[in-house]
Amino acid sequence: MKFIICIKQVPDVYAPIQIKNGELSMDTDRMVLNAYDASAVEEALVLAEQHGGEVEVVLVGPDKAKETIRKALAMGASKGHHIAVEDTTGLDSAAFASILSAFFKNQSFDVIGTGKQSQDTDSGLAGGMIAAHLDLPYAANAVGLQIEEGNKLIVKRQGDTGQEMIELPTPCLVTCSNDMNNPRIPSLKGIMASKNKPVETYTADVLGIDLERVRSSVQTKTIGYQNMPERDPGQKLEGDAEELVQNLMNLLQNEAKVL
Amino acid sequence: MSILVYISTTGGKIKRSALEVLSHCREQAAANNSEVAAVVLDADATSFTETLQSYGAKKIYTVSNPVFKTHLNAPITEALLKVIDQAKPSVFACASTEGTKDIIGALAAKTGAATLPDVANFELTSDGVSALRPVMAAKILSQNTASGDLVLVSVRSGSYDASQSPVVSETIAVDYSPSDFAQVLREVLSSAGDKVDLSEANVVIAAGRGIKDEAGKKLIEDLAESLGGAIGASRAVVENGMFPATAQIGQTGKVVSPELYFAIGISGAVQHTAGMSNSKVIVAINKDADAPIFQMASYGLVGDLYKILPILTEEIKKIRN
Ligand SMILES: Cc1cc2nc3c(=O)[nH]c(=O)nc-3n(C[C@H](O)[C@H](O)[C@H](O)COP(=O)(O)OP(=O)(O)OC[C@H]3O[C@@H](n4cnc5c(N)ncnc54)[C@H](O)[C@@H]3O)c2cc1C
Ligand SMILES: Nc1ncnc2c1ncn2[C@@H]1O[C@H](COP(=O)(O)O)[C@@H](O)[C@H]1O
Repeated sequence: MKFIICIKQVPDVYAPIQIKNGELSMDTDRMVLNAYDASAVEEALVLAEQHGGEVEVVLVGPDKAKETIRKALAMGASKGHHIAVEDTTGLDSAAFASILSAFFKNQSFDVIGTGKQSQDTDSGLAGGMIAAHLDLPYAANAVGLQIEEGNKLIVKRQGDTGQEMIELPTPCLVTCSNDMNNPRIPSLKGIMASKNKPVETYTADVLGIDLERVRSSVQTKTIGYQNMPERDPGQKLEGDAEELVQNLMNLLQNEAKVL
Repeated sequence: MSILVYISTTGGKIKRSALEVLSHCREQAAANNSEVAAVVLDADATSFTETLQSYGAKKIYTVSNPVFKTHLNAPITEALLKVIDQAKPSVFACASTEGTKDIIGALAAKTGAATLPDVANFELTSDGVSALRPVMAAKILSQNTASGDLVLVSVRSGSYDASQSPVVSETIAVDYSPSDFAQVLREVLSSAGDKVDLSEANVVIAAGRGIKDEAGKKLIEDLAESLGGAIGASRAVVENGMFPATAQIGQTGKVVSPELYFAIGISGAVQHTAGMSNSKVIVAINKDADAPIFQMASYGLVGDLYKILPILTEEIKKIRN
């Protein structure tokens, strides 16, 4: 089977962030492969190793984001597609989904994989949007994938109260949870090999997309950022187990009044 | 301008998170001279009209079909498209659950709607919606607007109180028969032991990697039972198979906001706190005095959970009896 996984370069959530006058400032050097997309790449690699097939990746972003494509190639993907959009400010999931859908119209694939969500914005929209644009059956929040009879994808998806086993005919799309696996760390050999793997770059024009129109049709805006409301400072209790429990019971009953 | 609220049901009951959204939308509608309608998809959708009426839904669209006994994204999307087409709302709102996360992207693409998912609060504006969304693993809030003929919003559970305000409603049964879907639901694997629904619980007892064995798990179960609380978990103990994935709380897992939250043997990684920082009272039990969870705990107990929990459960049983 041929998998194409959508991968996004996102800020590392551990990087220190500051909000100044409603604007976000953070270290732009701390960019990483979205953790959910890394799990999608990992799962596709495992399936391709078991059943044969190939894994390619596609990313929409600036030239700098190619380092994230290299990361996926170092994990074992065979080819990268880079849709060059130098300035992605203001683009939302809908905009990325329309660009990616235009790309997929001229590609052959069995399975499109995406992350369940971007770890910086937690939107979780682009996967379902691409499936709708391309009219593909899909399942979201996969925690396990299997291939049956060479052409069926069996998705175990995590729902609210349990899990659903869903059979998808190919071509299809699946959005992946990081609960599916722990993505491999690229080996030195993988990193060396990635340098010789092909990365094809596309401009929006080549894909038949008018980037200015995509920008002007974005319907959601980020107005600014603010800190989370502060929590009341708490109390740290020390002592032996008996004392700790007596103290806590007293506080829960008489101060917090929740017991 | 009108608001349509999608009411998720589970096991013959409306989810509390859906009633929270309905309650907020009712107030937004009243403040903006507009109307709030509800749509419910279920094997027996009409059985919920009385409840929806008591929460103030002026119009209730019911779509009854056995296909809604289990969750599958294709028929839900198809039925909602049909109702949206008929009701022509300017805002479509729902609770943010795994069930709605599975459909909202496709629904947005098919309707061309502007979408703000997983918001912590929202209000109507002259041309759409303005909302606050937790981002960067809920370390900060982003203020967003969405404008257009139709705006979709999904709301994190616990963002609003569910409150009644009865009205006389009009009920509209929508005729729907599912088309042939390419996808097949083979099996539903339900996780055992969810006695209390985690996202609706007033008390949550969450276990982390500090729980090392079955004896530790039993301590969590005993405490949960003594408090009538639901059991939650960090990713670490879901990953090692000790707790079911439905119990996971955090960025990948569920968002909870109970009155009382116990973080037991949990270090407090941002991806975990993303799902529980809105809890009213947080009790942390951790043997590492420097664990980050203590920064947000109302009451932090530095000590060994294996020593503390048996005594705590006994004390709670005493006052409960
Ligand atoms: C994209 C992404 C999404 C994620 N989503 C989630 C999510 O939804 N939910 C989630 O929880 N995690 C999530 N994680 C994982 C998260 O980063 C942490 O790895 C995880 O929360 C750690 O779980 P823990 O606190 O149980 O384990 P640890 O960090 O190992 O902490 C265990 C704690 O137990 C304490 N302890 C040990 N023994 C005892 C004892 N006897 N008594 C008292 N205390 C003891 C230790 O001092 C320690 O602080 C995500 C990660 C990523 C990258
Ligand atoms: N710029 C992008 N390039 C490639 N894939 C993307 C991009 N943006 C979003 N995606 C994919 O869509 C998923 C969901 O994104 P989001 O809607 O932003 O949460 C991500 O996990 C990626 O797989």
